[in-house]
Amino acid sequence: MTNVEKPKIALFLCGCSTNISNLIDLDAIAEWARKREDIDIIEVHSLLCSPDGKEFFKQEIARNKPENVIIAACSPHQHEVTFQDLAAEAGLNIGHIQMVNIREHCAWVTPDKVKATEKAKSLINAAMMRAELAEDIEKQTMIANTDVLIIGGGIAGIEASLIASKAGRKVFIVERDISLGGEIIKTEEIAPNMACAPCLLAPRLSEVRDDPNITVITNAVVTEVLGFLGNFTVKIHKKARYVDDSCIGCDACFEVCPVTVPSEFNLELSTRNAIYTLFPGAVPAMAVIDKDICKHFIDDSCNACIGACPFGSINFDEKDEEIVAEVGAIVIATGFETGDPSVIEEMGYRKIENVYTIREFERLTCSNGPTGSKIKLKNGEEPTSIAVIHCADSLRENGIPYCSGTCCIRAAKVGELARKQIPDVRVINIHNDLVFTGPAANDFYRKQLDGGTEFVKTDHTSIKIYERNDKIAIEGAGILLEVDMVVLSTGVKPAKGTEALAEMLNIDIGKNGFFQSDHELLHATCASVDCIYIAGSAAGPCDVAESVTRAQATVGDAISKLVPGREIELEMMTTVIDEDKCGGCKLCITVCPFKAIEYDAEENISKVIEAICRGCGTCAATCPSGAAKAKYFTDKQIFAEIGGLLNV
Amino acid sequence: MSDFNPKIVAFVCNWCSYAGADKAGALKLNYPANVKLIRVMCSGRVDPQFVMDAYREGADGVMILGCHPGDCHYRTGNVKALKRYKLLKKTLSQFGINDKRLKLDWVAAGEAALFQKVVNDMAETVKELGPLHITGYVEQGGK
Ligand code: FES
Repeated sequence: MTNVEKPKIALFLCGCSTNISNLIDLDAIAEWARKREDIDIIEVHSLLCSPDGKEFFKQEIARNKPENVIIAACSPHQHEVTFQDLAAEAGLNIGHIQMVNIREHCAWVTPDKVKATEKAKSLINAAMMRAELAEDIEKQTMIANTDVLIIGGGIAGIEASLIASKAGRKVFIVERDISLGGEIIKTEEIAPNMACAPCLLAPRLSEVRDDPNITVITNAVVTEVLGFLGNFTVKIHKKARYVDDSCIGCDACFEVCPVTVPSEFNLELSTRNAIYTLFPGAVPAMAVIDKDICKHFIDDSCNACIGACPFGSINFDEKDEEIVAEVGAIVIATGFETGDPSVIEEMGYRKIENVYTIREFERLTCSNGPTGSKIKLKNGEEPTSIAVIHCADSLRENGIPYCSGTCCIRAAKVGELARKQIPDVRVINIHNDLVFTGPAANDFYRKQLDGGTEFVKTDHTSIKIYERNDKIAIEGAGILLEVDMVVLSTGVKPAKGTEALAEMLNIDIGKNGFFQSDHELLHATCASVDCIYIAGSAAGPCDVAESVTRAQATVGDAISKLVPGREIELEMMTTVIDEDKCGGCKLCITVCPFKAIEYDAEENISKVIEAICRGCGTCAATCPSGAAKAKYFTDKQIFAEIGGLLNV
Repeated sequence: MSDFNPKIVAFVCNWCSYAGADKAGALKLNYPANVKLIRVMCSGRVDPQFVMDAYREGADGVMILGCHPGDCHYRTGNVKALKRYKLLKKTLSQFGINDKRLKLDWVAAGEAALFQKVVNDMAETVKELGPLHITGYVEQGGK
């Protein structure tokens, strides 16, 4: 030992049983190290990660209190955390611990023992050079808000809100439509089990309505999101309804309203008034006045609803509202949009009568639909034959390029629904690929075959649909047939506004336009920003079961990360900006992948928001004045490592 | 020149390329002992000065290895690395350094064989170029 009070460096050489010691001459390294001034403790151990080894390691550090510890052993990916924790227990700051990978990066790839030993020396030398510049790294924690904002009030958003509320979190649901329910509320039966959608949804909707923890904000959009994990401030623009919450959604005012327009809820297959609800029993129940078409707002010529309302609920003076919500996590449950087959000219959609999309067809079968659940042709008669065209807009360059994986089963449902009403109706499903994944879906397909649905294969891009002899002709490679009704099976697209929302949240969008998960296998429901989650089909096409599962997963992660009364641990190896050196050039801000740096105009400096910083160090590589310092990977440390590696 | 063993420093990102090198190790895929790795959290952390410093300290070749585009643990750090790399390539020739002495590549955590291939290829390339003799200009950090 040299005559310093505190030993400078303790070097542990691990033989990894014989994995290292057979391939590298550790004794030679120890001898080499002993000759060095800067190293005070050298220990060779046969297996440092064994219980004995760990105890030995910890005791040595506790006893000798070295300034720095170097462990030449396996990859840090194997045991860095192990040794950091042990050293921390023994009182050493983790900024002063380095692992040198003499196994994977040296012993195992260098068959010549002499060369491997020399290489190991240079790797250790680099760590020694670096050790002199080691700095403390402090654990960082933060108090987090544990409440949750959910964007989108479909089945996924509803599920997420109920679970979060059960865990005691306050929940805000922001829905852009005038009531909750999303896409699923527009159907009544869900394949393969023909589960009743309203039966699934109705009790959940009432639960949401009656839950004091859940604030439902409908007719509203998120306009701004500031902050970061555990600390988001969200601005919400809530449009005026002109009807207050004394309204119970009875239809007294609808009857007197002189204005009618196509109903969005019924996909324009019926009409609604200027004052309306989506359907009876919606949550919230209250009606809304469509300001753009209401005669009161246009020319003050009508006040009929005021007279008709038994509750005095109409309030023309209501104003739009700006709501601010403070939350710790955000769940995106904005759902999807169904493809529009009018982009494929040959499908005849919107040009030929009785050509419907699958969504429209399903509306015809719903009790609150435009025909009161009767499948009818435009002339009021029942169809005797229906053709269902699979991939009407999918797997095509000019439509949806991918397979959504959820539409075939929905298309196969047409036969099941039609035969319930018209037992001898002929249903022909025309398809190219057929996708029924899993046993249940496959059983459903077989059931349709047994029930009488004909499945006919052709190249879906060859299909042309036109009118002939008062019927609809379908012509394709090797097929020609005439039917009364055509149902176009359309794919699943990202919801409108996905891009704008992604930009607002600073998260990624995948190749097909859906929100991109942080990791497709391991964090499928996490967005690329911490504590922002993707539920339901906002992450990509999925069925109801998966949509709900994804919603549950999002909240599971959020509530395990954000626990009331518990501080959250932040990334330790962040980057900091030295105020004295920063020239305020903002280059770091332009390269930061996480918007973790903000500019302080008053002081003309950039500042890292350490809670957002993940420590990639890209800003440090860009900073022209050396003000940005990546902890544990400082410029000086890396220069020292380079020098040490090349000059032993 | 045949027994010239070029010194190569490879900056590898922690998440993909470092792990790819680990896997190469686990599979005992050999490469020259003079190829030495420096771990950085992301290829985006590699300051052009690190590269210049490596030449100054005696490296004959320098590599920057990161996650494949789209796979960066930090979203776009590797995109920044690529931009810097292109610029740096241009600058190198101005310093009288053959730009083949710098190589950026993407190696995923599972791509052990690819890791071995890119470092071996680089060692081969630099071997052909011979030892790097830097000029005073580089020695003084381009000042
Ligand atoms: S983390 Fe691998 S390149 Fe960014």
